[in-house]
Amino acid sequence: MKMIRRAFVAIGMAALVAAAVRLRGSGGTPPQSGGWRELSGPELD
Amino acid sequence: MARVAIIGVGAVGARLARQLVSTDADEVVLRDEDRGRAEMVAQSLGERSRVDTAGLTAPLDVDVVVLAGRPRVHAKQAAALLAGGAPIVSVSDDLSDVRGLLALDRQARSLGTTVVVGAGFAPGLTCVLAAHGARLFDQVDEIHVAKAGTGGPACARQHHRSLGRMSVDWRDGDWENRTGGSGRELCWFPDPIGAQDCYRAELPDSMLLVPAFPDLRRATSRMAATRRDRLTARLPMLWPTHPEGGPGAVRVELRGQRGTARAVVVFGAMDRPAVAAGAVAAVATQFALDGVLRRQGAAGLAELVEPLPFLQELARRGVRAATFDGEATRAVRG
Repeated sequence: MKMIRRAFVAIGMAALVAAAVRLRGSGGTPPQSGGWRELSGPELD
Repeated sequence: MARVAIIGVGAVGARLARQLVSTDADEVVLRDEDRGRAEMVAQSLGERSRVDTAGLTAPLDVDVVVLAGRPRVHAKQAAALLAGGAPIVSVSDDLSDVRGLLALDRQARSLGTTVVVGAGFAPGLTCVLAAHGARLFDQVDEIHVAKAGTGGPACARQHHRSLGRMSVDWRDGDWENRTGGSGRELCWFPDPIGAQDCYRAELPDSMLLVPAFPDLRRATSRMAATRRDRLTARLPMLWPTHPEGGPGAVRVELRGQRGTARAVVVFGAMDRPAVAAGAVAAVATQFALDGVLRRQGAAGLAELVEPLPFLQELARRGVRAATFDGEATRAVRG
């Protein structure tokens, strides 16, 4: 009985960690410089 | 005298109809599952539009047919309407629609007509931006597309659905399926959308880009989503959607070889997705009416149109593309 309870607790903990990792995701670095500029003039000629 | 039929007059179809009535078409024929909605749109457009009460796939005597209704029926509708011989333009961003429409290639060629696949904001404008950007490279080997925002309710439902389904990416000469909602990447969209976390989803952009760029090694597509979107993606939609959607944006990143160096170019655009999709579909329709589509058969805009005149016409209609100047790299892309 004790083993089963421990197994359920372990599975629950693993599910919580997996959900947290999935929601948080990983990586991603915003650009450190520069910006958006509308295409115009020679770029659209 | 140019006559255009629009099947489906929701957020995108209604805007497309308005553009066509004001610029390109002498007569616009409207069909919709909801006859009342079609009549309301026709009334607002004036005497150059009329409602056709025949079935959605009943034969039409027009110069171009635009499919702008709910997704997952476009391939079936196109197959039924193709026999009429008029070019067909579809705005669907549903993967099964895009697959089904591309499968009509041989039939369209044998009939001497064209099926324009994915003529919306994304895919659509993204394909044109990719084709435009490719001119700056000797060889493009990676294209990564991202989109943020939704148009009308049908678009929002499609967005919700695709986030819970497998993505289709191109990797080293083969298609790769990855879980929707995975692969977070922070994408920097044109202002005021700015930085958004984007994830894999069942998006058709790669299916349209790979045939247009035979040397492509990698093609991926992602969509912006919140944590709530990801948590509820596999459930029915729990919240009502805005009838017109909010502001949105697209971003296309190209990587490749320029001379002896590696280069990265990023293009994007910001607009209300339904407005931009309506404008892209209107310009695609105009190209079909003018007979300037590059080939017969079924393909996306990257293959079918000359990107520069297309972007010029879009800019004239108020949808302006932008480029990102500066650092736009990240270390790892899955």
